Amino acid sequence: MMLTIVMLGLIAAGGLGWYFESVKAQSARWIALFSILGLATFFIVSVISSGADYSELNVLVRVPWISAFNIEYALAIDYLSIILLSLTFFLALICVLVSWEEIQTNAGFYYFNLLAAIAGIIGVFCAVDLFLFFFFWEVMLLPMTAIIAIWGHENRHFAAIKFFIFTQVSSLLMLVSIIAMAYIHYDQTGLISFFYQDWLLLDIPLEKARYIMLGFFIAFAVKLPSVPVHSWLPDAHTQAPTAGSVLLAGVLLKTGAYGLIRFVIFLFPQASQEFAPIAMVLAVVSILYGAKMAFAQEDFKRLVAYSSISHMGFVMLALFAFNTLAYQGAVITLVAHGLSSAALFALAGMIYNRIHSRNLKDMGGFWHSAPRMGGFALAFAGAAFGLPGLANFVGEFLSLVGAYQVAPVFVILAAFGLIGSAVYGMMLFQTSFQGPPTTVVKDLSGRELLIVGSLFMLLLVFGLYPNAVLQYVQGVQL
Amino acid sequence: MITNIMIHAILPELIISFGLVLSMLLIAWQRSQRMIQFLTLFILICALVANIPLFDMDVTQVTSLIKVDTYSAFTFMLIGLSGVVVTLLSGQYLRTKTEVHDEYYLLLQLVILGASILVVSDHFASLFLGFELLSIALVGLVGYIREDKYSVETGFKYLILSASASSFMLLGIAFIYSQTGDLSFVYHTGIVSGELLSADLPTGNVPQQSVVLLVGSLLFFIGIAFKLSLVPFHFWTPDVYQGSSTPVTMILATISKVAMFTVLMKYWFSWLSYSEAGLLDHDNFIKLLSVVAMLSMVFGNSLALMQTNIKRLLGYSSVAHMGYLLIVLMVTSSQSINFAWQSALFYLAAYVLASLSIFTVLIVYSSQRSSGSDKLTSSSTDDDICIADLNGLFWRNKTLACLVILSVLSLAGIPLTMGFIGKFYLLTVATQSELWWLIGALIIGSGIGLFYYLRIIFALFTTEAAESSVNEKNKKLELRLTSHLFIIVLAVVGLFFGIFPDMITRFIGTL
Repeated sequence: MMLTIVMLGLIAAGGLGWYFESVKAQSARWIALFSILGLATFFIVSVISSGADYSELNVLVRVPWISAFNIEYALAIDYLSIILLSLTFFLALICVLVSWEEIQTNAGFYYFNLLAAIAGIIGVFCAVDLFLFFFFWEVMLLPMTAIIAIWGHENRHFAAIKFFIFTQVSSLLMLVSIIAMAYIHYDQTGLISFFYQDWLLLDIPLEKARYIMLGFFIAFAVKLPSVPVHSWLPDAHTQAPTAGSVLLAGVLLKTGAYGLIRFVIFLFPQASQEFAPIAMVLAVVSILYGAKMAFAQEDFKRLVAYSSISHMGFVMLALFAFNTLAYQGAVITLVAHGLSSAALFALAGMIYNRIHSRNLKDMGGFWHSAPRMGGFALAFAGAAFGLPGLANFVGEFLSLVGAYQVAPVFVILAAFGLIGSAVYGMMLFQTSFQGPPTTVVKDLSGRELLIVGSLFMLLLVFGLYPNAVLQYVQGVQL
Repeated sequence: MITNIMIHAILPELIISFGLVLSMLLIAWQRSQRMIQFLTLFILICALVANIPLFDMDVTQVTSLIKVDTYSAFTFMLIGLSGVVVTLLSGQYLRTKTEVHDEYYLLLQLVILGASILVVSDHFASLFLGFELLSIALVGLVGYIREDKYSVETGFKYLILSASASSFMLLGIAFIYSQTGDLSFVYHTGIVSGELLSADLPTGNVPQQSVVLLVGSLLFFIGIAFKLSLVPFHFWTPDVYQGSSTPVTMILATISKVAMFTVLMKYWFSWLSYSEAGLLDHDNFIKLLSVVAMLSMVFGNSLALMQTNIKRLLGYSSVAHMGYLLIVLMVTSSQSINFAWQSALFYLAAYVLASLSIFTVLIVYSSQRSSGSDKLTSSSTDDDICIADLNGLFWRNKTLACLVILSVLSLAGIPLTMGFIGKFYLLTVATQSELWWLIGALIIGSGIGLFYYLRIIFALFTTEAAESSVNEKNKKLELRLTSHLFIIVLAVVGLFFGIFPDMITRFIGTL
């Protein structure tokens, strides 16, 4: 029940904020902040106090929903979901803090959308009825599109439509796969079922599994995103408001990776193993292409967006290596990238607030007037190119080590991506913070310091003590 | 011999026919727009109430002309409810025009009668009767507002094309009759027809037989395809949608489409069992249907892309939707027929609700606009609503905008709405019958469709329009309480059935 309460609570808080914003301006952000804080605490307390073992999927609730198709409202969590849910809650707080000053028009509706998107994402991470999963998959999309389309930058409608169509079309493929799976279940047992754990018991003929797996894979590859279906991401990131970018990079991309883990690799082990070479090629291309494109950008947010493509390539590479070490690396990378890219986008937002430009050419020499911001920018750029001591390093290191045992050639190629990331990371930092000072900018305010400080602390903690995450994904057998 | 049960089964149709007579008497007695509107409403509600017990009734054959079953009861419900909505909105719409419009309601009742005869028909004679009642009354409605600049063009276009469609259909029926010697649908399925055919004709002649039958069915299908505006018979749709007054467009989009599709399914599934008996090879026909379906999905959506007028856009989108619906006709095994029916009915229900919602918004919005500004500037053009007219609607009237969003999302098939469940049904049918090409076309079509659906939604949120254009646009749009309530009801119903589709599947049976 607890996650249902959390999701309903978020929606209700969003509605409340929307209403109270019209009564008293600026009340919506407080409501959003406190509701997320409260519900996150509630979630953590109830997970800890339940004392259950989450190394296996733990079904929390299972009630019939649409009886015509035997569709259930079923939620379950395991450690993977809990890690990603915690990341979601944390970044949700960051999102609210980031939007604190930025969103002034129609703030009530904005926070409603933000909270609804978060509720949808939470649903994605815990739904185990595939119809329900699809439902949440789409539901998180709508408010996200609204955030981009209403509060975005100059080219927002184009970016929002592109984002929506890419995800929608690919998810229809997934829907077809879901239905096909339900009918395979029907053929084998005489019952239609959309329940994930029922599907795990199925013996799916390989030739069918190949196609069905492909439907899932495409949907998740779009979300991840992987080359060649990545082109929505730079646009969506660039045009979205800061919190939108943070949410997109921090959590939404992770739903793709989560889907790959849960619904591709575990559901179709054999078919995905066959598919692994292709997936790994895509991953390596994403890594190198993302890094190269990032280097060529002049737009701060676009650069970070392309770097996301590169980093998510590491996740895909690691996942399709079918190796426990690589899997652990992938999970750490998910968390680390969620934090570091969120931090970079937050920084981009802070710079935008000061100079009203995202263009790197308009920046330069900020260090003189804003040394604290510069320090954090350096640290986050360092995190992005895998500086030891920060979480990204652990993730990428484990991924590469794990994958090397399976596909050494791919890993050697992928490792060049690390060099690329150092190049664009340093370029990002140097063009914006070093050089002759162009404009005088204010240094970080207390609220901004809280945002970047907390993100940095977490990166450091997971970098120095990765076991904080690793201990939960150790026993996973692939 | 007509028994009580039979009377019971066709009571809704009888009520409407009786109501028509009463309406004519009322017109002779006193011409009052308000009274005839109430009478029409009353008749429709009586018919709907009489329809309720039919859900629990067994299949009832009333002579060889009419067959009443759960499916026809459900479609009658859709038709009746659309009729109620149209009647309510027509009142508001016609109030802005001069003259007393009694005949309008008479024609409306005739359309509903025609449609309800269509959905229960089980015989080509009753089918044609219903078809013509519907068409001719619609011709009257389409050109009803005489002073409108489009009315002559629209009326003529619809009249001529509709008449030629009927004649194609009639020819098709004649061909079919020449082969089967009978006009009823079910006769095909019965053993009798098989015996008749094989007894009368040597087996060598059978292939030739099927060709004439095939041509007949093709012509028959063309007649229906015109009404459903499937590609390549869709050319009239945007013009007529745009040219008719909005409540009439609403009828075209809902009542006419539902009735036509239902009767097509009735005929088709009888025909299917006919071919199952080995008398007819209809694989080619299915291939043809698939092509028509795919073309409708892709063309309908592509043509809608560049439209700025919302009614034209909806016209093209209806082409695509009928294309999606054709998927259910590709079901080849007789076990799946029930499921195909359920899918089609659910999809129709979703489509009808979404269309009703969006047209309601158009009517309410345009009447609000014309009453707000001075009468001279907005005499003939208040029906032409462009996407740009909706700019910033969300900030001016949230209820109206929310209904637009819901209905557009439902048409686009996004979760939380009935449209999504409808699409889910269709995809299930297609996956079950392994129609991968059609699934591909559906996905591509939906992808294209999202462009224009999202364009409408984004228009609602634009803020620039409010700043730049006349100050009239800036002010909040106030609605009358009744319209407000009506809109809220539509939105709540749409959302409710979208989240709890079980409430509808209960009516049409489950797997």
